[in-house]
Amino acid sequence: MTTFDVRELLNEAAAHYRERPHAVEMLRECLERLDEPLRVGFIGTPGTGKSTLVSALAEWPTRALREIDLFDTPAFAEHVDATVRLVRHLDPDELAGTRSVGGSAFARQTAVNSVLVLGRADEVGAGRIDALLTAKQLARRAWREDPDCAGFQGVIAVAGQLGYAGRALRDDEFEVLRALASVSRPELERYLLSVDSFVDDPFPVRVSPESRKHLVSRFGLYGVRLAITLIRTGCDSRLKLSAELVHRSGLGDLRDTLAGCFVARAEALKARTAVLRLEGLLVAEPLPHGDRLAARVERFAAAAHDFRELRLIAGIRGGRTALSGESAEEAARLLGAQGLAPTERLGLEPDADPAEIHAGAESALVRWRHEAERADAAHAERAAARVIVRSVEGLLSLFVA
Amino acid sequence: MTAPAWLDVLNETLDACAAHGRADLAERLRRRRDQRAPGTRIAVVGFPKQGKGYLLNALLNAPVCAVGDASTPAVPTEIGYAADPAAVLVGHARENVPVGDLAKELEVRPPGSLRRVEVGLPRELLGTGLVLVDTPAIGDPRSPRTAATLDVLADAHAVILVSDATQELQPAELALARHIRTWCPALVLALTKIDVSPDWRELAARNRAALSETGVVADVFPVSATVRQAAAKAGDVALNERSGFPELLNWVGEQAARPIERTRALAAAVSVRAAAVELVETLQTRLNAVSQDNGVDQITLLHQAQRRTEELRRQNVRWQNMLSDEITDLISDAEYDLRERTRVIVRHVDRTFDEGDPVQIWPDFQTWLEENLAEAVETNYNWVSDRSEWIAQAVASTFGPHYGHAPELPLTGSGVDSIPEVGTPKIERFKIGQKLFTGLRGSYGGVLMFGLVTSLAGLPLINPVSLGAGVAFATKSVRDEGGMRLQRRQALAKAAAQRHVDDVFIRFSKEIKDEVRQVQRRLRDHFAALSDQLSEELTRQRELIIAGSAERDRRTQRVKKEIDRLAALHRKAGALGATARDIRELSA
Repeated sequence: MTTFDVRELLNEAAAHYRERPHAVEMLRECLERLDEPLRVGFIGTPGTGKSTLVSALAEWPTRALREIDLFDTPAFAEHVDATVRLVRHLDPDELAGTRSVGGSAFARQTAVNSVLVLGRADEVGAGRIDALLTAKQLARRAWREDPDCAGFQGVIAVAGQLGYAGRALRDDEFEVLRALASVSRPELERYLLSVDSFVDDPFPVRVSPESRKHLVSRFGLYGVRLAITLIRTGCDSRLKLSAELVHRSGLGDLRDTLAGCFVARAEALKARTAVLRLEGLLVAEPLPHGDRLAARVERFAAAAHDFRELRLIAGIRGGRTALSGESAEEAARLLGAQGLAPTERLGLEPDADPAEIHAGAESALVRWRHEAERADAAHAERAAARVIVRSVEGLLSLFVA
Repeated sequence: MTAPAWLDVLNETLDACAAHGRADLAERLRRRRDQRAPGTRIAVVGFPKQGKGYLLNALLNAPVCAVGDASTPAVPTEIGYAADPAAVLVGHARENVPVGDLAKELEVRPPGSLRRVEVGLPRELLGTGLVLVDTPAIGDPRSPRTAATLDVLADAHAVILVSDATQELQPAELALARHIRTWCPALVLALTKIDVSPDWRELAARNRAALSETGVVADVFPVSATVRQAAAKAGDVALNERSGFPELLNWVGEQAARPIERTRALAAAVSVRAAAVELVETLQTRLNAVSQDNGVDQITLLHQAQRRTEELRRQNVRWQNMLSDEITDLISDAEYDLRERTRVIVRHVDRTFDEGDPVQIWPDFQTWLEENLAEAVETNYNWVSDRSEWIAQAVASTFGPHYGHAPELPLTGSGVDSIPEVGTPKIERFKIGQKLFTGLRGSYGGVLMFGLVTSLAGLPLINPVSLGAGVAFATKSVRDEGGMRLQRRQALAKAAAQRHVDDVFIRFSKEIKDEVRQVQRRLRDHFAALSDQLSEELTRQRELIIAGSAERDRRTQRVKKEIDRLAALHRKAGALGATARDIRELSA
C-alpha cells in the first residue's frame, strides 16, 4: 500500500465523518502531514540530555537530516512519526520504563519507529578516557542481549554535550585546547583531575580562568580531556578535531541511524502515523458503517512490507536472527539497510546498467528462495528469507513495467 | 547489666503497635530492641549509578565495592574491622573468598543464593567496631534489591545518602531521605562526582534547600572519589582536602566514637518517636472515621429519624382517610352501577311483554334475560375489582416508592354462575274447549236477542238471522276472552321477570358490598401492618443512633486515651534521646 492509498483512505474516512467537524479537522491534518517533513520526537526523563541532543541535531547542516522536524518531548506522542528514546543508564529498571504499553495490534505489529539512546555516554565508567568506547559496547550488548531493547531499531550511545560542542567547535576554543595540549601530560594531569582544579589558578599555561570555565561548561571535563588527547594524537586542525569528536560522541551514529531507519522510510512511517490516528478515531468514535474502513486499515497493516523489512533489519543488526557474517550483510543490504535504490540494495555501482541490476536481482532471488524453502531451517529463518524474497521480487517488479 | 531506660518505653510502644494492628511498626521496634551490634552501623544508600561504590572505596582506600559498569550486588555488603583482609559470602553457609576476587565471585552467584557479604579490613576507621554497609541500589519499589536496602536501614544507626552532582535531588530521593530521617538518628547527603560538575556549589545549595523544605535535617558533603584517589596516589594532603572526604570521614568518626549504648538509646528513641507518630496517625484516621460515619454526624441522623417519624404519623392519617373515602364511594358507585344496568334490563322486559305473547317468546326471552343479567353482574364486578386495585395502588403510593406494593386483594370472582334460573310463570293457554264454551256462551245472547226480535216478524226463534247474530256474538266473545287472557299472561310474565331481576340485584349488590368490605379490611390490615413496621424500624434506628453514639463516645475516649499515652511515650523518648534534635513535636 502506498501513500497514495493512504490519502484515498483518509479522504474516504473524512467523507464518512463529515458530520463531525473535529474529526474532519484531524483527518485533514493527517493528510497535510503526509506532505510535511518526518516528525521525530525525543522522549526521556529529565536529565537524560534531550534538549542538548535536539539542538545538536537540529543545527546540523547535514543533508541526511534536512527532511525531518525534531520535537523535544512532543505533547502528543502519537503525533510523531518516529521517536528517539533517551535513558541515562541501561539498567533494567530504566529500560522497563521504555517498554511501550498498549496500542492496537497494528501499532504493536509495526513498532519500528524508535531508537534507544544512552544519553550522557561520557558518564559511563566514571569518566575514564575510554568511557565512550565502553558505552558503545554496553549499548551494543544491551541491544543484542536485553529483551527490553529488542523493540528498538537501534541502541546508540551518545555523548550529546560533547557532540554538540565538537560539531560547533570554534577557532578560539580550538586554540585554547591546542595551548593546553602543548603542556606535557604528567604536568597537565593534576589540573584535569576535577573541574575545580581546572578552573582555579595557578595554571601551567596562560589561559584566562574565564575561557577555561567556558571550555569546561561547554565540553565537560571529560570532553576537554578527550579533546586534548585527540590533539596530541594527531587531530591538529579544528576540522579534524571537530569531525573526530562528532564521530566519537556517537552523534554521527545517531544521525546515520535516523537517516537510514527513518528518513529513508519517511513515506511509510508518515503513512503509518496517519493510519494509526485514523484507527484511533475509528475506535473512539465508531461509525455506523465503519467496518469497511477498519478492514482497510487492517489491510494496510498486513500489506506494509516496509515495516517487515525494518523489523528484520533490526533483528539482523541486533543479532537476533540465525544469519551471520556475509549473508547477514547481504540480507540487511537487500532489505534496504543501506538505501532503498535497487543498486544500493544489490550492492552495485550507482551507474550500473539495468541488465546488470536485473541479473543481480535474479541471482539473489534464486538464492533466497532456496533459503526460504530449506526444509532443515527453523521456521523463523525461513520467514526471514521470505521477507527478503519479497523485497527482491519488489526489485524485479520494476522491470515488468 | 541493668536494663537501659529506653527499653521500657520501647516495649510499651511496641505493645501498642501490636495491639493496634501495626505489626510492621512493631517489627521495626523489635529489631531496634534486639539488635546486639558491637558498634555503630552506617548504611550507604542511594539510587543506581550515583557512585556509592566509589564513595565507599574512597572512604576505605580499598577496592572493596563493585564500581563502574559492573552490576552492583543484589545483597548488602557489611564492611567491618579485621586484622587481615577477608571476605565472607553469607548464604546458607559461610564461604570465604579473597577480597580481590569478591566482585568476580558475586557475578557468578545465582541471584537469591546469598543473604549478605561480610568484608573485614584492617582500617583504623573501623577499629571502634564501626560497620559500613553498602546497600543494593534502590529502584523499583517491588524489587528484592530495594527490599534488601530498606531491611538494612531498619538496623542502621546512621545513613549516608548518595546522590551525584550531575542532577538535583529527585522527588524519590527526597522521599527516601525523609523516610530515613524519621527512623534514623543521623543522616548526611554525600554529593558525589563534584569533579565533573562545573556548578556543584549551586547544586549543593539547592539540595540543602530542598532537604530543609522537605523537613529533613541533614548535612551535605560534596565529595569527589576521583580526586581522593589521585590525592592518595600522590600523597597530596591539599588535594585530599579538596576531595571533600576529610569532612565526611570526620562525621563518620563522630558517629563511630559515640559509645554504642548511647547510639542504641538514640536510635531507639528516634524509632519510638517515629512509630508513635505513625501509630497516632493511624488512630487519628480511625477516630475520624468513627466520629464521622460518612460525613453525617449523629445529631443529623437523629434529626432525620425524628422527621421520618412525624412524616409517618401524617402519612397514617392520610392513607386511612383515603381508604375509607374511596371505599364508601366505591360501594355507592357499585350499587348505582348495578341498579342502572338492571333497570335497563327491566325496561327491555317491559317493552318485550307489551307486545309479545309469553306463550311464544318465553323460552327465547328466558335465555336472553339470563345472559344479560350475567353480563351486567360480570361487568359490574369487573369494574369494582378494577377500582379496588386502583384504590390499593393509590393508598400504597402514599407510602412512597419503596413500599408501593399493594397487597393481593381477596376478590373471589363475580359468582355469575350462581344466578338462579328464571322461574317460568304460570302461563295459561286458551284451549279449544274453553274457546268453544266461551263462543257458545257468547252466541247464546245473540241468538236469543235476535230470535225474539225476529219472532215479532213471525219468524221462529231459531232462524238464520238469529243464528248469524249468534255466530257474530260468539266470535266477539271468543276474541275478547282471548285478549284478556293475553294481557293476563303478559302481566304474569313481566312480574316474573321483574321479580327475578330484583332478586338478582338484591343478591349481587349485597355480594359486591361484601366483597368491597373484604377488600377494605384487607387493605386496612396490610397498610396498618406496614405502618407499624415502619414506625418500629424508626424506633429501632433511633435507639441504635443513641446507643451507637454512646458506644462511639466510649471508643473515641479509648482511642483518645491511647493517643495521649503514645504522646507521653513520644515525649519520654524525646527526653531519652535528648540529642536527637528537630523531630516534629507530636500534637495529639
